[in-house]
Amino acid sequence: MVCAAGVSTLASQAVDDGDLLPRRMLSTSVVYARDSWDQYWEGTLKRQNGNIGTLTTQSVTWVSGYGVTDRLSVTAVLPYVWTEASQGTLHGLRGVQDLTVGAKYRLLTEDTRHGAISAFVGAAASLPMSDYTPDFLPLSIGTGGGRAAGRLTLAFQSNAWWFARASAAYTWCSNVTLDRAAYYTDGQLYMTNEVAMPNVVDYSLSAGVTRGRWRIPVTLVQQRTLGGGDIRRQDMPFVSDRMDFTRIDAAVMYALPKGLSVRVGAGHVLAGRNVGQSTTVSSGLSYAIQF
Amino acid sequence: MRFSSSRDIRWAAAASAVALMVGGCDKAVGPFEVLPPLEAAGLDATAGNWRMIVLTGPTQVTVAAPSATTSAGYVAELDAIKSAQRNLTQAQRNAIAYWSGGGVLRWNQFARELVARYNLPPAPRSDGTYPAPDAENPFADPNFPFANPPYAARAYSYLSAAQYDALKAAWHWKFQYNRPSPAKVDNTIAALMPVSELPAYPSEDAVLSGVSADVLRALFPAAVEEITLKAAEQRNAALWSGRATASDVAAGLALGKAIAAIFVARAGTDGMRTAGGTTAQWQAIASAVTAQGEIAWVSREIPPRPPMLPFFGQVRAWTMAPSDIVAERPASPPSTSSQQMRDEVSEVRRTVEGLSRQQLAIAFKWNDGAGTYTPPGHWNDIAAELIRDARMGEVRAARTFAYLNMAMHDAAVGCWEAKFAYYNPRPSQMDASIKTPIGLPNFPSYPSGHSTFSAAAAAVLSYVFPDRAADFDAMRDEAGISRLYGGIHYTSDIVAGKAHGDRIATYTLSLARSDGAP
Repeated sequence: MVCAAGVSTLASQAVDDGDLLPRRMLSTSVVYARDSWDQYWEGTLKRQNGNIGTLTTQSVTWVSGYGVTDRLSVTAVLPYVWTEASQGTLHGLRGVQDLTVGAKYRLLTEDTRHGAISAFVGAAASLPMSDYTPDFLPLSIGTGGGRAAGRLTLAFQSNAWWFARASAAYTWCSNVTLDRAAYYTDGQLYMTNEVAMPNVVDYSLSAGVTRGRWRIPVTLVQQRTLGGGDIRRQDMPFVSDRMDFTRIDAAVMYALPKGLSVRVGAGHVLAGRNVGQSTTVSSGLSYAIQF
Repeated sequence: MRFSSSRDIRWAAAASAVALMVGGCDKAVGPFEVLPPLEAAGLDATAGNWRMIVLTGPTQVTVAAPSATTSAGYVAELDAIKSAQRNLTQAQRNAIAYWSGGGVLRWNQFARELVARYNLPPAPRSDGTYPAPDAENPFADPNFPFANPPYAARAYSYLSAAQYDALKAAWHWKFQYNRPSPAKVDNTIAALMPVSELPAYPSEDAVLSGVSADVLRALFPAAVEEITLKAAEQRNAALWSGRATASDVAAGLALGKAIAAIFVARAGTDGMRTAGGTTAQWQAIASAVTAQGEIAWVSREIPPRPPMLPFFGQVRAWTMAPSDIVAERPASPPSTSSQQMRDEVSEVRRTVEGLSRQQLAIAFKWNDGAGTYTPPGHWNDIAAELIRDARMGEVRAARTFAYLNMAMHDAAVGCWEAKFAYYNPRPSQMDASIKTPIGLPNFPSYPSGHSTFSAAAAAVLSYVFPDRAADFDAMRDEAGISRLYGGIHYTSDIVAGKAHGDRIATYTLSLARSDGAP
């Protein structure tokens, strides 16, 4: 439900995971995710809505990555998204969402007695790949508009079995255009179809286990939208609302033979503002080949 | 650390790329239609003789004769303006620039903003019931009012009709006394707003501030502070700009407030207070419809919400007697058990399931649902730009908005009278598999309110701007069909609503054509 929602939930996992692909390795994944909530924050007021019931957003996302060098990887992410409300009369929407293209570069690595510290920088840009409307939240499949993000990640990989990581990103969101001539948000009537989208920052901390074919990260993500209004009492959400959340994610990844790997994940929003208290489950299959 | 100089360069490049993305673009979006300083296309010097809407005549409220421009008191007023003009702050200059766009247009914009702010239905209580907005406690949750389309149509019409009568009265006294504006009397006073040959006493800006603020405070009591500040700013801008002296302003304010009181008294007894009805009353309507063998409308909201203003059809119209409202009611909709109804339900389902992106855009363009300025507000938005481009003077602009909004108010009364006479179910009640790409209005289906409002509005605007009639007809038709695309109306609702709106507009138009305005 956020400017960066499209990328922050899926693409950013690819962008901020701190892992680079080896040189000349091409990885392709398909990820299915199911995100649902039956409570949301109307501004700061947590509530249910009988005309929504449970809001479910499902997606199938194609993710590809390629190791350009041992310290530079590029990624591309494209989700197909569909939404549905379990109650009420509102029609769900579906379609191809936003293509995100990103690059990740390992800036430096420092070996210590206990393990290696690395720093990464990342950049990503995304654009909607279909003319979906961002003006029917929470049933819109995204927030429209273009985005550009810069990210800095510090990672520690111990010589033993654990790792830790901290990451922060700033996402710039372009203005979006609605199909109507006027809208009201943040205490003001705007007599234009153009909406100024607030930029977004997110921070994450993660820690996890790597052993043999297993990798199990747990991540705490916080998103803060730098502006925007609150959902008014009994109003619908609006595309430029101040959408904040704190979410915990966990994943289990297992490397199969022959370049295959599987991943299952789950996430839950612990606190939020103008977003649903969603629970997400996902599963994905990856295939990597070395050229 | 193993930084090499080339790495440092890469790092710096990455950091500056991020910095560019962060600060590189100006995204500010201005909230308003741009209104250039109003150089009115005409004086409308005869407007004091044009027919009144509610007032008995232009002298119903008396304005005492002003002092001569040679009197000591008036000269002191001129000195006060000169003194103010020597020390204008940027905020004062901004206020002058804002109000120079035209008082009627500015108040219309502000009324649309108030409607959008208050157009939210009450949230349900935990026991599944809904609280009613309370005019005596307007700041509580839910705020008063719920400025839904009928309420909004009425609000726009009271504001516009009161402004129109007040300005006609002001024009009468202006040309009776013929006292020029201070910038014309004393050429050391700068004309910071366009100053015409229009006599300054009583000040039209002050008349508008008084009439608009008192009418809006009655309609939107929780916005009292903002309304009051805006009105005071308008009077100050008239003074600072050299367009009016303190006595021009005082006389205008008193005239505006006296005329507002007449309109507010009418609003207090126009039937709005009882338009919500009681549960027993609207359930009786449902029972009567069921007794005729028809399927009665039920709320599709969860929990079910009482219908929107079921007795708004009894609210007093501007140009139609209650018997006219009943006489113009559209013929019955197709029976809910008829083949035509089944065909129309399946047309809605097919339309929604096969909706193109362009059709969805049309549904969104005209949706004007909860939280917006409503369909009547949309037509005011359309009219405002035309009034601006035509450089209509204040009284001419007020006349256009008055007839537009009186016709839409009468359309709301007529439409609601018909909706609650037939109590016809929405498509998604007839077929629960129909999901709507826009919000489903919580009142009966037949006839379509959008179609009625839009036909009435298009007819009035075509009278005022005949060169644009084809555009208004196209907008009216698009607004109508948008409700089929939205999955919330049958074709017969749209056809009947359009014809109904056309008939209702003829009442306003016959008044407009005979009001004496050239």
